[in-house]
Amino acid sequence: MEGFFSVFTVELLNSGIRLATPILLAALGGAICNQAGVLNLALESKMLLGAFVGILAAYYLGNSYGGLLVAMAAGGLLGLLFAFLYHKYRVDLVILAIAFNLIIVELTVFVMRAMFGNVGSWSDPSIVRIPDIQVPLIKDIPFLGPILSGYNIIVYFSWLVTIVMFIVLYKMRGGRHLRAVGENKSAAETVGINAILLQTLALVISGALAALGGAFLSIGHLKLFTRNMSNGRGWIAIAAAMFGVNHPVGVFLASLFFGFADAFSVRVQNVTDLPPNLVKLLPNVATLLVLIIIALRSKIALSMARRRFRSQLRAEEAANPAD
Amino acid sequence: MNNQRFRKLLDSILVPLLAILSGLVVMGILILILKKPLFESYAVLFSKGFGCEAYGNCIFITTLERATPIILTGLSAVVAFRSGMFSIGQEGQYLLGAAAAAWLGYAIHLPPILHPLVLIIAGMLVGAGYGWIPGILKVKLGVNELLATIMLNSIAALIIEYLVQFPMRGDRSTTAHSPVIDESAQLMSFLPGSKWGVGFVIAVIAVIVIFIYLWHTKHGYEQRMAGQSRKFALYGGIHSDNAAIRAMLISGALAGLAGAIEVMGVHRRIMTGFSVGLGFDGLTSAILGQTHPIGVFIVAILFSGLKLGAQLGLQLNLEIPRELGGTIIGFIILFVAAGKLYEESIVRVRDWFTRRRGSNLKGESR
Repeated sequence: MEGFFSVFTVELLNSGIRLATPILLAALGGAICNQAGVLNLALESKMLLGAFVGILAAYYLGNSYGGLLVAMAAGGLLGLLFAFLYHKYRVDLVILAIAFNLIIVELTVFVMRAMFGNVGSWSDPSIVRIPDIQVPLIKDIPFLGPILSGYNIIVYFSWLVTIVMFIVLYKMRGGRHLRAVGENKSAAETVGINAILLQTLALVISGALAALGGAFLSIGHLKLFTRNMSNGRGWIAIAAAMFGVNHPVGVFLASLFFGFADAFSVRVQNVTDLPPNLVKLLPNVATLLVLIIIALRSKIALSMARRRFRSQLRAEEAANPAD
Repeated sequence: MNNQRFRKLLDSILVPLLAILSGLVVMGILILILKKPLFESYAVLFSKGFGCEAYGNCIFITTLERATPIILTGLSAVVAFRSGMFSIGQEGQYLLGAAAAAWLGYAIHLPPILHPLVLIIAGMLVGAGYGWIPGILKVKLGVNELLATIMLNSIAALIIEYLVQFPMRGDRSTTAHSPVIDESAQLMSFLPGSKWGVGFVIAVIAVIVIFIYLWHTKHGYEQRMAGQSRKFALYGGIHSDNAAIRAMLISGALAGLAGAIEVMGVHRRIMTGFSVGLGFDGLTSAILGQTHPIGVFIVAILFSGLKLGAQLGLQLNLEIPRELGGTIIGFIILFVAAGKLYEESIVRVRDWFTRRRGSNLKGESR
């Protein structure tokens, strides 16, 4: 038992937060798309694109922060392409996502091998990893300090995005309009909301965020690019968005859950002989349960509304027997 | 009548055909960017992917071998799509079917013929069971089957990783894999040194069975109607819910079969990274094959030929990275999805033709 509890350390929390960051960024992107009624299953490819473009741009610009910006721009552009094909040519978003998930995983390796020879992964000594920042006052807080401080700028940015997205979606007009579009597109259009613009915006933002999450992997966490580097994190992000019921705060907590499960499974392997994969199973099963609960909730709500309607009808009939 | 039927067929293959051509054009552009010989690349790609140098030295046979699981996962997607279930759970069902076959392959000892049969049935049952979960969740509770199958895929992947690393681990080598299955459980191959064999025959039989099932049986008809319009099906007295669950059972069984065959005929065991996205390959071949069993059959062979040609031809002969094959497949799917782009121009071309034929006719009558 002693060994088991020695797993819980500050390092575990730190690595959990680091592992949660790319998932959180992509999941926030997925959530905003879900809120706008455009299912974005291409988070995986957008992350991978961000990872690849990010490290390339960092290399050619000689500046890793520049790499982050270029990665976000690339992801945003891919999102824009999705929106264009969806709105202009009515291309099915799911099939589009499947196509791009395939294209990006192969094309990134193709370009890497075409540029740098027959290699499995690529890095260059001149590339600088995004440095960690010790936040001045916070780092001195006992206990919380080491947990909240000492990450690179992408981690803090992901927290900022969570807060901003919450404010925009729930406290501002544009966000309410966006959610209205997701709720019922034609109804929203009837009252003069520009649904196409808002859905396009959601896809672009989601592309940029997912790409930043990918760049975190290639120049924020490690310092290299390998084939299929995102390794299913885009799909985990979709799960995290569902688990957090597309609410920024919920998505934040869900992503932390996935990140900690990841960190914990690595730790558990070293300290105890619990199988690590089963720990990772936990958030996935939980997400499936959340899906079931959401479905159940709407089913119950529907049947309750029906019952209410019927009893109302009966009451009215009783009131005017002449009809 | 016959003419009309031909036109319908033409309509359904025109968009995929144009998409494949566009994909090959994209490939040409990428090759030109790399400053490699264009025509030689195409020649090498097709001769290595679909060619036959001599009897017994046929790369096309390897293409057929690699196409086998894609055909089956593609059929699995077809059955699900046709009944209105947008399931992308083939990957998970494939993995669990493979695991069941791999386990029974070394855990029990049976005489030949019986042993493979037991493994195949086990793989299909496990796949069907895993397909049943999203089916019943959808029908009883209204859980979105697309999202549910995404989750079930990652759950299955983690279960396989666990099984391979712990209970089913064969030895303590660096890569985790299960013990090799008994000789009696392995599927026969037709040529020495090749793994193309009974599995492919099973896949062909599956194509025919599914075609007959969907288009020439009552249950299949019900399923297709339920897929096209739930309300219409209900009006006609079809229980869409039953049809959907039946579809998910069949779909899961086919994907599980793919996994079992891959274990019995090719790898003879299961290891980490067992699936290299074969579930998704099936999905894409279903999309490009117009969700038709015969379309899937053709497309699966085309895809594995393109990949093999890129690997053996482009990479080895011309030093073009083999990922070009997968890239082209991705672009082909993209072009199919954007079929509207073609449809507009097809209509325009057809208008132009009919106008011309019309004016010709006028000329003759004069």
